[in-house]
Amino acid sequence: MPIDLSAVAAAGDLDALATRVRGWLDEHLPAPWRQAALGGDQQALDRILADQVMARAWYAELGESGLATPGWPAEYGGLGLAADAAAVITDELTRLRADRPADEFIGLALAGPTIIEWGSGEQKERFLRPLALGQHRWCQLFSEPGAGSDLASLRTRAVKDGDHWVVNGQKVWSSYSDRADFGLLMARTDPSQPKHRGISYFLLDMHAPGVEVRPLRQLNGHSEFGEVFFTDVVVPDADRLGPEGLGWSVAISTLMQERSGLSGRPGVGPGQADALAARARRTGAWDDPVLRDRIMQAFVTERALQMATVRAFATLGKAEPGAEGSIRKLTHAQLEVTLGLLATEAEPGDAIAWDPPDEDAAAAVDAFLSGKILSIAGGTSEIQRNIIGERVLGLPRDRDPYANTPFEERPND
Amino acid sequence: MNADPADAAPFHWTAEHEEFRGVVRKLIEARAPLACAPSPQSQDPRERELWRTWTDELGLPGMVIPEEHGGSGFSRLELAIAAEELGRAVVGGPLFASAVLATEALLAAGGDVAAEVLPALAEGTKVAALAVTEGTRRWQPDDVATTASGSTRLTGTKESVLSAAGAGLLVVAAREDAGVSLFLAEPGDGVEVTPLEVLDASRPMARITLRDAPARRLSEAGQGWAAVERALQAGTVFLAAEQVGGSRALLDAAVGHAKTRVQFGQPIGRFQGVKHRLADMAARTELASAAAAWAAWQRPGSDAAGLGAAIAGAYCSEAYLETALDAIQVHGGMAITWEHHAHRFLRRARADAAVLRAPREHRRQLESIIGTGA
Repeated sequence: MPIDLSAVAAAGDLDALATRVRGWLDEHLPAPWRQAALGGDQQALDRILADQVMARAWYAELGESGLATPGWPAEYGGLGLAADAAAVITDELTRLRADRPADEFIGLALAGPTIIEWGSGEQKERFLRPLALGQHRWCQLFSEPGAGSDLASLRTRAVKDGDHWVVNGQKVWSSYSDRADFGLLMARTDPSQPKHRGISYFLLDMHAPGVEVRPLRQLNGHSEFGEVFFTDVVVPDADRLGPEGLGWSVAISTLMQERSGLSGRPGVGPGQADALAARARRTGAWDDPVLRDRIMQAFVTERALQMATVRAFATLGKAEPGAEGSIRKLTHAQLEVTLGLLATEAEPGDAIAWDPPDEDAAAAVDAFLSGKILSIAGGTSEIQRNIIGERVLGLPRDRDPYANTPFEERPND
Repeated sequence: MNADPADAAPFHWTAEHEEFRGVVRKLIEARAPLACAPSPQSQDPRERELWRTWTDELGLPGMVIPEEHGGSGFSRLELAIAAEELGRAVVGGPLFASAVLATEALLAAGGDVAAEVLPALAEGTKVAALAVTEGTRRWQPDDVATTASGSTRLTGTKESVLSAAGAGLLVVAAREDAGVSLFLAEPGDGVEVTPLEVLDASRPMARITLRDAPARRLSEAGQGWAAVERALQAGTVFLAAEQVGGSRALLDAAVGHAKTRVQFGQPIGRFQGVKHRLADMAARTELASAAAAWAAWQRPGSDAAGLGAAIAGAYCSEAYLETALDAIQVHGGMAITWEHHAHRFLRRARADAAVLRAPREHRRQLESIIGTGA
């Protein structure tokens, strides 16, 4: 049953909305879950999240309520709210650690909005409601070994054969590809066109014959992303998203959503610096005024970033995010590095050797090792600076000598 | 315009806000030279004329003064809009010291004496200065050593008082048995004002030496520091907006230069070494502007207002300084000459980060908030 927000949403009062959603969550979220989240009991929370019965039941109820996809139209399982109201809801869910799991980010934050913007009626019917209900997981099939920052130079080929396409090629750095049901695929459909113009965008069934996923292990030891190989994979033309040859434009929608979605908490309140300070207080490292000031610098930047995110969502309404999202993504990436370093500097001894039950130490090491990931994933910081320079400030574009050369006539690199 | 910013969620500017911003910007672009110091006593007739623009056309001096005291009863938010526009042109003069610091202290103190002088401040016929800091030049109650004998005579030395020369009213913090109180003094017998050499000439500072100077107490004995804190919070919000305006002007000028300055056969803005520096300037300015506006939207005196002012005070001050330094780098050789605009901004950026609480003092204040769930 969708949550009834008619009394608060119409008034545009975000505080009233937050109160209403908080009340609903108090009523519906299982009590042990709420207690573990509010008490910061990570072990209890991990047990709950691993409990398939409780977690699944909750995500299903959350999906039915519309709160997992508040910005989507009501007909597709959303609540039709503007970006700032949707952010208030996300913030309430995050506070209780009750939001959908990280591996659903691509489906909810990237696939959904891109399909809402570009999809046919049939595609919206088929994909959006299951996404809202948490039934499908998605991955992004953009980057390739030879197409990282220069994404438009991708070589995965889709060749038309009657009412379907045959896909061959390879993708890499695809998060959660090992568990995805569908993939957002960019493939070259017309090599006689310059690189940006010969690409089409597909909604690929990851269970189709010829799709092979090989998980990759990241520098932090986790395995979230993978390589994806396509061998004569058949994709119906009905699963093409947006016009043939305009895949780059469709992908820009996805990338803007991604940058905007990678800027941290969309509300002003406790963040990672707060957690760092709390741990430093427990260990006594807080007594060092030099460390304290460095944590406070990160705290100030984190809060300022939150304020910028709140503003972006307040001014966005129901429009799609634009290039300014690169500013927040860039800043967030830099902040992650700083926070990762600080996490291990607070207790330098704990950063190199610790007793296995010491979860604080393990988390600090994980934050340190994971710190640089956001500076690369979702577009490197250099690419974000190019976008800010060129799209936001209007500076002259970087030279690409082959930008207007038919893709097949470019020299082999 | 909205008299109470907390009535709406942050960043929901009204059409009236945008209109006001447009009017202020147009007036400043048309009439205010870079780093000018509009003042009723200026030697420069253009600066006296500009002060009349502030009073008669924009109502800036009385902006946050309630209507019953002759002002227009707007809030920090509206004044912050003006501050950002003033900051774009590094406009100085006594407006900040008088209409923000002294006025907010008087409003927080309340009482008959404040009520008597507020109408003249609202009209702009008089300007006031807030004399708090002494030898340490820190805004700390323990550092106030000036004494009030019999609550009517002040003795002590106030250091680095902003816009003190020319101020017709002095709001002075002094110590009594009950603690720090605020007093109102006027230039005259027992009051010596000595101008200081200053980094930012558009905002002069002076030493005030008080020798048994006659004064009237503004509020209850020992209750003065709360009013000083209120003035500091309002001042920090104003300066944050000004810092954002300055940062934006610097960014705009640097981007303009990078688009037109040709070296190695192309505009230098195409080189990533320049482009990425400008992107970092833009990112910093974006966050600073969000922090400054968020602070201005909070209800004065609330916990959120305290958090917002301290975040903005720390972030916007450093962002402006770094952007002023970066702007010089982008403009190159021209920017290290006296004639170029860059040093006006650099001076103001340095002064703004020191004139109230310094960024690290804001961060130290925030230490009591971090990790408490606020």
